Amino acid sequence: MGRYFKSLRRFWGTALATQLEYQVNVLIELVAVGLSLLGSLFMLSLFFGPGRELGGWSWSEALIVQGFYTVLDGMASTWLRPNLSSIVTHVREGTLDFILLKPIDSQFWLSLRTFSPAGLPEIGLGLMLVAWGGHQAGAPLSPLGIVIVLVMLLVGGLILYSLWFLIAATSIWFVKTWNATEVLRAVLASGRYPVTAYPAPLRMLFTLVIPVAFLTTVPAEVVLGRANAPMLFLGIGLAAGFFAAARSFWWFALRYYTSASS
Amino acid sequence: MRIFGLNRKILRVLLGTEYAHMLEYRAEIALWALSGVLPFIMLSLWNGSDARSALGMDGVALDRYFLSAYLVRQFSVVWMVYDFEDDALTGRLSPYLLQPLHPLWRYVARHLGEQLTRVPFAAAIAAVFFLIQPEAFWLPSIGRFLLAWLATWMAFTIAFLLQSLIAALCFWSERASALERLLFIPFLFLSGLLAPLTAFPPLVRTLAEWTPFPYLIDFPARVLAEQPVNLLAGFAIQLIWILVLLPLVLLLWRAGVRRYSAMGA
Amino acid sequence: MRRRHRDVSAVRDVSFTIAPGEMVGFLGANGAGKTTTLKMLCGLIYPSSGRVVIAGYQPQQRHPDFLRRITLVMGQKQQLLWDLPPMDSLRVNAAVYGISDRDANRRIAELSDLLELGEELTRPVRKLSLGQRMKAELLAALLHQPEVLFLDEPTLGLDVNAQAKVRQFLADYNRRTGATVLLTSHYMADITALCPRVLLIHQGHLFHDGPLDRLASRLAPERHVRLELDEPVVAEAFAGLGRLDSLHDREVNLRVKPQELTAVVAQLLDRFAVRDLEVNDPPIDQLIGDLFRQGRL
Repeated sequence: MGRYFKSLRRFWGTALATQLEYQVNVLIELVAVGLSLLGSLFMLSLFFGPGRELGGWSWSEALIVQGFYTVLDGMASTWLRPNLSSIVTHVREGTLDFILLKPIDSQFWLSLRTFSPAGLPEIGLGLMLVAWGGHQAGAPLSPLGIVIVLVMLLVGGLILYSLWFLIAATSIWFVKTWNATEVLRAVLASGRYPVTAYPAPLRMLFTLVIPVAFLTTVPAEVVLGRANAPMLFLGIGLAAGFFAAARSFWWFALRYYTSASS
Repeated sequence: MRIFGLNRKILRVLLGTEYAHMLEYRAEIALWALSGVLPFIMLSLWNGSDARSALGMDGVALDRYFLSAYLVRQFSVVWMVYDFEDDALTGRLSPYLLQPLHPLWRYVARHLGEQLTRVPFAAAIAAVFFLIQPEAFWLPSIGRFLLAWLATWMAFTIAFLLQSLIAALCFWSERASALERLLFIPFLFLSGLLAPLTAFPPLVRTLAEWTPFPYLIDFPARVLAEQPVNLLAGFAIQLIWILVLLPLVLLLWRAGVRRYSAMGA
Repeated sequence: MRRRHRDVSAVRDVSFTIAPGEMVGFLGANGAGKTTTLKMLCGLIYPSSGRVVIAGYQPQQRHPDFLRRITLVMGQKQQLLWDLPPMDSLRVNAAVYGISDRDANRRIAELSDLLELGEELTRPVRKLSLGQRMKAELLAALLHQPEVLFLDEPTLGLDVNAQAKVRQFLADYNRRTGATVLLTSHYMADITALCPRVLLIHQGHLFHDGPLDRLASRLAPERHVRLELDEPVVAEAFAGLGRLDSLHDREVNLRVKPQELTAVVAQLLDRFAVRDLEVNDPPIDQLIGDLFRQGRL
């Protein structure tokens, strides 16, 4: 275990060094994050006005959803995108071989090899937005509540990671269809708004098939103190299920990779 | 007649090879087409929202607007900066610069070839849309359709020129494509892809109309969806943007090439 | 005493055993599956049937203890991070292999000394020359002191100087550490300089297993003798003196069996007025190339 922690420290140390090679990009990323949040808030504001709600959510409540979306989007740019997009490169260039020959779990390596600090401000901004929205909506604040929020954030992160990893792992077979992660990202954008704002069929889709609801709406409900226990357990169950699926799918993919001569 | 090295024969050959090339990437392009579902997600939100009445589109008009927005986007999306950056980094660009054909034409041809490959996927998505919302079905008149086509191509031209500006910056700094992100964000929120411009507060709307973005999606989509729209003003402004951007791109490009060859890269 | 042996059924009925500390060259035509065999030996590809045992492990299980004992270097692929100095990648590898900082520093110092790498280790990889990059790759691959080295075209694309240096390093490394080395290369010089033993897989079978010169005498059982005479001679004069290849005026080419060579040369010098005499072996890579092209002897 100690070896894994030490590896992780080295991974991120080198990642930081790489990023500093391109400082301008970090600056651009910061501006982009600010602009993007501004645009999202503007778009959200269009749905509101005096006496208007979105799917039963008030403006400040919807801000919490938007805040969680921002947090997860930041998580995607600090962690998921830089790591998982390199899987296809490793497959195409054959450097996956080097990783498979390291005495360390290959999924660990591929999922945590690097991180991009440019997404961190986005996570901070998202959390601030959650706090602000919660404050405005008069959300009850309790230590237990905060713990549950963190757990649900973890659940959301795990679901997001597993979905993304599942799709990225298909690049073992289809190098060209890596674009499928773009489809996933497009669908995830629906998480900017409370899931109740969508028509019933989409609500089902976003709860059970691509559980966007557990990424943003459910954590927001927890903040507002109106989440129900079954929904929380369903979320935890889904996260565990998706993670197990991602893990076994990776093993399956590797068995294919190592049985084909390449 | 040759326009920056392009004549009919070269055009035919370029388009033919690029189309064949893009056909190789069918699966990728299908997924790209699918990843453009954002307008439909926004449509379902607007349909169920209290704010719908403020849009000034009743009944099926909103359905048609967002479907049109999707289609316009499919046939005006530009990605040349990524291809260009790749070509510049891998050194494929140098031989292009030596040929008696302006390199930008190659990228134009790639996009047109790709658009052709997208037709069946976009049609399939439109068909699915009409299956779910049969009452939204409409066939624009031939005249309208041609106008919408023209507006979409003008939109494509503006988007292409904007991205060429950024691509030209690659001559000065590697990875200038990061700047593309800064261009994409205002496009996303101001073009009408997420909400028709009529939803904007008057001040924002006026400001947005001073940018090229509404003419990339909102205007062509309204033409296609047969919404009331000032055709003459729309086309005139599209043309003005092209006339403003074109010389800028050519100047910057020429300066960039000079720098590129001076560095002996 | 460590006991280590490998049995491989790589292609079809190919079995061999390699003792610890041996340096073995792997020959085969392009696409004959040299790389595939190498990958099979290090556990990247499952054999569809047959058995591979390396140092007591089954490679395809990729057991961490097994992985710590081997390394793979591929000439056309690199594991070092492009944008960072090799040192960063070395630190990552040290952590992954669970090497303490002190040990890692010591080994880096030792190996960079052998490889003649200095400040290159702190320059971004993209700014290194191909030769420097390959040496840094070797350093990264050897940091964990593997006992078995799999090298796939380790000198590919390097200039003659850099090739020689890599070769010299590998020979030194093998001598110092007693590591087992299995090597494929396009450059016959790599094999002749490094590998006392050569495996040649041809058409799915183990065609040759032994020293390179034995392979040469198998492929070309006759030696070439070239004569330049003072005066023209008729062809019949060479009866009983090997096989006459060609005769142009005063220039004669003969093929002679090795065991008859001394006798034939003595008779030639005795019978004719010889201005010049040369005994040649066809170059080994040409012989092997002929074998691959013709598909048989």
